[in-house]
Amino acid sequence: MRLWLVIGLLLAAPRVFADVSVVASVDRNHVVFGESVTLTIAVQGTQSGAQPSIPRVDGLGFDGPSTQSSFSLNNGQMSQSISFVYQVTPARTGEFTIPAIAVNVGGRSYSTEPIRLVVEKGLAQNDAGQELFADIRAPSRRMYPGQTEPVQVVLFSRTDVPLRGVGGFSYDADGLEFKFLQNLKTGTLVTNGESFNVHVIEGSISPSRTGTLSLGPCILKAQLTVRRQGGSGWPFDDMFGRVEVREVPVTVDAVPIEVLPLPEEGRPADFGGAIGQWKLDVTAKPTDIAVGDPITVTIKISGNGNIDTVPMPKLGPLDGFKTYDPTTKTTKDDLNTTGERVMQQVLIAKSTDVKELPEVRLAYFDPEARAYKTAVQTPIKLVVKAGTGGQTTIVSGGGRLRPDEKLGQDIVYLKGDLGPAAPGVPFCGSATFWALNVTPVLALLGTVGWKRRTDRLRGDVAYARRTRAAKKARKLLTSATSYDEIQRALQHYLGDRLNIPVGGITASVIDERLVPRGVDGELADRARACFDACDTARFAGGGAGMSVQATRDNVERLIDELETKQL
Amino acid sequence: MNWKRNSFKIGAVIWLVGLRAAFAGPSDDFKSANQLYDAGRFAEAAAIYEKIEPKTAHVYYNLGNAHFREGKLGRAILDYERARQLAPRDPDIVANLKFAEQRLGVDDVNAPPHAWQKYLRSIIESRRSTEWGIYELAALWLTALAVGVCLYIPRARTGLLAIAAAAFVGFAACAFALGHEVLGDRTAPAAVVVAGETEARFAPVPDSTTHFKLSEGTRVVIREDRGQWVFVERADGQQGWAKSDAVERVVPQS
Repeated sequence: MRLWLVIGLLLAAPRVFADVSVVASVDRNHVVFGESVTLTIAVQGTQSGAQPSIPRVDGLGFDGPSTQSSFSLNNGQMSQSISFVYQVTPARTGEFTIPAIAVNVGGRSYSTEPIRLVVEKGLAQNDAGQELFADIRAPSRRMYPGQTEPVQVVLFSRTDVPLRGVGGFSYDADGLEFKFLQNLKTGTLVTNGESFNVHVIEGSISPSRTGTLSLGPCILKAQLTVRRQGGSGWPFDDMFGRVEVREVPVTVDAVPIEVLPLPEEGRPADFGGAIGQWKLDVTAKPTDIAVGDPITVTIKISGNGNIDTVPMPKLGPLDGFKTYDPTTKTTKDDLNTTGERVMQQVLIAKSTDVKELPEVRLAYFDPEARAYKTAVQTPIKLVVKAGTGGQTTIVSGGGRLRPDEKLGQDIVYLKGDLGPAAPGVPFCGSATFWALNVTPVLALLGTVGWKRRTDRLRGDVAYARRTRAAKKARKLLTSATSYDEIQRALQHYLGDRLNIPVGGITASVIDERLVPRGVDGELADRARACFDACDTARFAGGGAGMSVQATRDNVERLIDELETKQL
Repeated sequence: MNWKRNSFKIGAVIWLVGLRAAFAGPSDDFKSANQLYDAGRFAEAAAIYEKIEPKTAHVYYNLGNAHFREGKLGRAILDYERARQLAPRDPDIVANLKFAEQRLGVDDVNAPPHAWQKYLRSIIESRRSTEWGIYELAALWLTALAVGVCLYIPRARTGLLAIAAAAFVGFAACAFALGHEVLGDRTAPAAVVVAGETEARFAPVPDSTTHFKLSEGTRVVIREDRGQWVFVERADGQQGWAKSDAVERVVPQS
């Protein structure tokens, strides 16, 4: 296992050296005299054998290096780097160039790009002697309308000053658009050999007119913690309210900014107002296509300056293409000092005569160089083959993609027919839907109830007799033509209701069974009268003054009323 | 005899002409809009698609394509969403919706933050509310039938109760999906940001603090409507007040 790892690393070694790159950078290009700059030389692709040779630069001192190395193995891809960090201290003000630095890696020599460094005049001696003071740091005092430059308002406090923070900030900036970040940066800075705590307000200015304008004066409200009388001087004083915060205004004098008009000399005809340092990057995918296939052209402009001043360059002339409206996306930092604008446009080649995409140009004014420049993207070559005839439909997905093949992407083409009509009324809110929901529930409840009833009728004789008593008695009454049959029907009814044998039922059952169960006197009297009428007719002839029909009607009413009683 | 035969032919011709007249309108408009689209006159094509009533999934889909070609990608996403509500499993609609979201860079913000939420949403959105309603009814009837038969055939009790339990679980799942679609549309209707870029604020007043930015094509739900302002919620749960003319509901307000 280890052997394989070693062999793998040995095999990878030449490739690692083949991918070596060396980049030098400084943490800032503008610095105040007395401060130092951090220079980092990053060597990507190796961790050993590299040693930069720092050239001698008049007026700059290099301390170091300290080294930092990193190694990572991700998805089989090995990545390693080593960084050499130097502290560069200027010995005087002025403009310096750190020249290309040679780095020897594995016997090959690599070189960095030169770096420009501007060292400005430091703080006045009287400021440095103070305990609490502020300063405006504007790297460029000569600007142009529309240009955006970063500025800093720095509050210095000697380390023994109990500065808690900045309570407020007001400024005067007539003719200048001054933006600043709400969150302050804090840190320590050594200037003129003395250490200070600093609170930095980062901002940017953009002049709106020409002339000599002023940034400032600015007033910062420094918050100092002062111990109240009775405070012990311990750190717990703050917790127990023995200190209070007092705001002390610190004024910064105005800084003059000279705003010049954009020069007429050398202004390109296609200059659209872009100011800054801009980079133009144009890509087209795919470049090997068939007639009717879409090409996505991406134009990216990025760099330093106000991206809002940069117009999007137009692709043209596009006679051989069918064009679609472009989409544009702009991103910028909070201070609008750097930004990026990306435009994507879909083109479709109409014929095989199309050989290239036209040139793209962006004219801009570079305030640092004080000159107009033009970024140019040379025409991108296209290979257009004969297509299938009509406009192709490009769909994503489907089929297995060959490893070396990249498919274009676009929306799927139109539908050729109207398709099925949408329902006018949503089914789920309709009465039919709710009826269909309720029906099975009710049906199930009904089925359960019916099953329980049939089971009880089958197993509970008293319940079965009681339930069927009225129906059975009415059936007997319907066919009854004599007092004897009427009395039998009544006997059957009472026998079934009371679950007693039918044969032994006489008028006495009324007093023995019905009255104790709550049948009131009037109803009991009528029941007795029915029995009497039937008995009289059977044994003495006649019906105690009542006909058969009248007696049958009386018995029917009696049964109806007894049905309402709980016996 | 001849008269009878001729009258039958005349009647058939009249019936066919009448039938064509009855169905000619929307179909002809649809075809002419497709021709305008092919000619690259996307705005005119979109205007005709807009007029076609009643709108089918295909009309919304073609309208979305026309808006896409016009560069109105937020509106295109809205149209694709409307088309998807009518035909949720149409692969062309799903592909174009995804492509437009990717083009605007809102595919991430439109997706729920958790994988299980994405999965649940994909299942619920794979069927129309009517389909969920039919499934729910079928499951409910099957549950009732299985329980009912179980009462009268005790020998098959175990099997029937298993069927009833499975059907009831299906009924509950379908009812949940249906409730999510129907009640969701009523209580928190889905909408799409159609303005270029708008801001969601802490309060429904113009100078209140901005909470977050709503990019074009972002899918939101409307929690409250106060006329000129709507209280919206993004897929990641962020809420804020947005101008009501910056968002448009997926189900058009009647």
